[in-house]
Amino acid sequence: MNTRKVMRFVAEYGIFVALAGLFCFLSITQSDIFLTERNLTNVLRQNSYTVILAAGMTLVILTAGIDLSVGAVVALSGVLCADMLVKGYGIAGGLAAGVGLGALAGLVTGLFVTRVKIPPFVATLAMMLVVRGAAMKYTDARTIAIPADVSDSFARLSTGITPVLIMSGVVLATWIVLTRTAFGRHVYAVGGNPEAARLAGIRVRRVLVCVYAACGLLAGLAGVIVASRIGSGYPNAGELYELDAIAATVVGGTSLFGGRGSIWGTLAGAFFIGILNNGLNLYEVHAYDQMILKGVVLLAATSLDLWRSRDS
Amino acid sequence: MSLLRLQGITKTFPGVRALDNVSFDVEAGEIHSLVGENGAGKSTLMKVLGGSYIPDSGSIELEGEALPFGSPLAIQKRGVQIIHQELALVPELTAAENIFLGREKGGVFLDRRMMVREAQSLLDELGAGVSARTRAVRLSVPQQQMVEIARALGAASKVLVLDEPTSTLPGPDVERLLEMVRQLRGRGLGIVYISHRFDEVFAISDRITVLRDGRHVQTTPMADVDRGRLIRAMVGRDLEEEFPPREATPGATVLAASGLLGGVDLTVRAGEIVGLAGLVGSGRTETGLALFGAIASEGEIRIDGARVRSKRPTDALRAGIAYITEDRKAAGIFPWLDVGANITISTLAEFSRMGLLSPGRERAAAQEAAGHFDVRSAGLRQRAGTLSGGNQQKLLLARFLLAPRKLLILDEPTRGIDVGAKAEIYRLMNRLTSDGLAILMISSELEELLGMADRIVVMREGKAVGEVERAMATQEKIMELAT
Repeated sequence: MNTRKVMRFVAEYGIFVALAGLFCFLSITQSDIFLTERNLTNVLRQNSYTVILAAGMTLVILTAGIDLSVGAVVALSGVLCADMLVKGYGIAGGLAAGVGLGALAGLVTGLFVTRVKIPPFVATLAMMLVVRGAAMKYTDARTIAIPADVSDSFARLSTGITPVLIMSGVVLATWIVLTRTAFGRHVYAVGGNPEAARLAGIRVRRVLVCVYAACGLLAGLAGVIVASRIGSGYPNAGELYELDAIAATVVGGTSLFGGRGSIWGTLAGAFFIGILNNGLNLYEVHAYDQMILKGVVLLAATSLDLWRSRDS
Repeated sequence: MSLLRLQGITKTFPGVRALDNVSFDVEAGEIHSLVGENGAGKSTLMKVLGGSYIPDSGSIELEGEALPFGSPLAIQKRGVQIIHQELALVPELTAAENIFLGREKGGVFLDRRMMVREAQSLLDELGAGVSARTRAVRLSVPQQQMVEIARALGAASKVLVLDEPTSTLPGPDVERLLEMVRQLRGRGLGIVYISHRFDEVFAISDRITVLRDGRHVQTTPMADVDRGRLIRAMVGRDLEEEFPPREATPGATVLAASGLLGGVDLTVRAGEIVGLAGLVGSGRTETGLALFGAIASEGEIRIDGARVRSKRPTDALRAGIAYITEDRKAAGIFPWLDVGANITISTLAEFSRMGLLSPGRERAAAQEAAGHFDVRSAGLRQRAGTLSGGNQQKLLLARFLLAPRKLLILDEPTRGIDVGAKAEIYRLMNRLTSDGLAILMISSELEELLGMADRIVVMREGKAVGEVERAMATQEKIMELAT
């Protein structure tokens, strides 16, 4: 019975404890490298894209869905943004185009999921192919360089602490939406019991479409930042980013069955994986072993989720 | 010597002693009923027997031999079968395949023909009207229940446990089932019968055991059972009556519906409870859902004389129509949200300012509604999934009546709710109608319809076929119209 209590605690708050533990461990054992401002800023910056994507993914997974297309959207929105800059629409124009494209892609996905009732896994898999293909076709599989006149100011989007600030803004906004708005409550309700949500007067399809559109919008935003980071629109950008976002969300305790989870969990999940990577690099663990370990972490988190869903 | 004996079973969950030193036995050729309120421990005891739970202490003996704990397979192999409340058929398999699931006949290759033949004869004996070759997904809920029963009958050789087997069955099927159970008793099986329906329990039992709060209260031979004393033993206090006295003074017409689903005309007046009776599949629930805009329907709905076009529940709620589902678990409660959030979910706009929720106002409103409807929880923060059935029902009342409503549609308002909580729900209904609310109560329990409705509309095959005033209503009259 006491093991049950412990398990419950682990399922509820485990990721925060694990993150704190990992941080302390590396602070003590690798203090000269890990605890430097340079390293910590790097960790924050490197993981800011994952967190931005994972915030959208959290919304989607809370409704018991999934979005596999976000990595491809990162590429296409980056490419489109770069092209807008080439065509002289300015940074605002590029940003609007990239973010708008992401929202549009999400909207289309949402309509297929709710109107045609294609399971999210298949709908977003298809969207991933379409969007990635479009990015390749648009660029003829070449990169679009950011023109020199705007490259310096565009690069500021991804240097210093700017991406960290954007990430913080996204996390805060998601938190407010999820906990302080009717829409956020509806997201939990639709994920927890869609039929009950419908009978409680919630516009279930509208909630789902908004959730996919928001996830796409955030993927578009991440795409623009990635383009700024690499200084070009690159059609192969963002590959497998969707998996990082899903891993962060699930490790952060959001249930794949929907209706349960929080943005703080996702934030902690993303940084747990990020700091784990960082620590393993510091210990010079081989990249293949790192992959294996990440897989194990994901399995453990999912097992806990399943155990919790069965409990009570 | 008893056929099956459970001795001194104790089982604790975190914070709850679900069973406290409970003993229970069944003789061969006996029907022993187990009654008690929800949460009294009936199902827990049967889950201990079935091997789903391992008790903290106690023992189980079958024909004097100890049975192991926590091994469903070992228990089934010894001829003990349990039919649980929840249906557990594999949807894509046929009735016959479901019936022989886990004990398929034949060698390397299945002997399908024999299995179909045996399954069909079991189903026919039950009068299920089901072809053994039909896939489970194509069967109605009562038919699925019949398949489930046939499965257990086919496998039980010594003891059969039926946990609320009739909660989804219409009247005639219940009769056939009870007859079947009596036959099995005649063949020397020991039968444990769990039900909320007293008339069944009285019709069939040889002995009745009452559990309350996880404790054994009494075991009485049928000859010595008295209904009033039995209820007192179950709830541990006096219940004035199962149905509180009701004095209705209906006012102006609130609901006037015509041509719904192509054949249902209904009116409900302010302060009135109209009962909607009919067999399973007669279209009662569909009528409720159509009024609520949850399923598409032709016809016209007027509330206070004004035409309501509800394409979806949102529209109906706005027009003052609320619907409370018959299936709280699947379509009512958000199990992972807390009690407070469950109450306010339909009216969040009222607690928002410029799009942002005001937690203070929301909590205050939820608190007040929870108090008003007497939702008992360890506070608004308790997860709704952990509430008892009666409290979940009161929570739904609180949710849908947080905003002013004109018509409340209650679909099976007391299904799966214990005697004590039932009376509370009835008292709440009386209070609501005395405040001028119109109530449409869909129910398959005739006693409930007779006890609570001012007027009863009877449905058959998707049409409203008759109407009976309270003073004139009898069970016979309603059944005659319904069949």
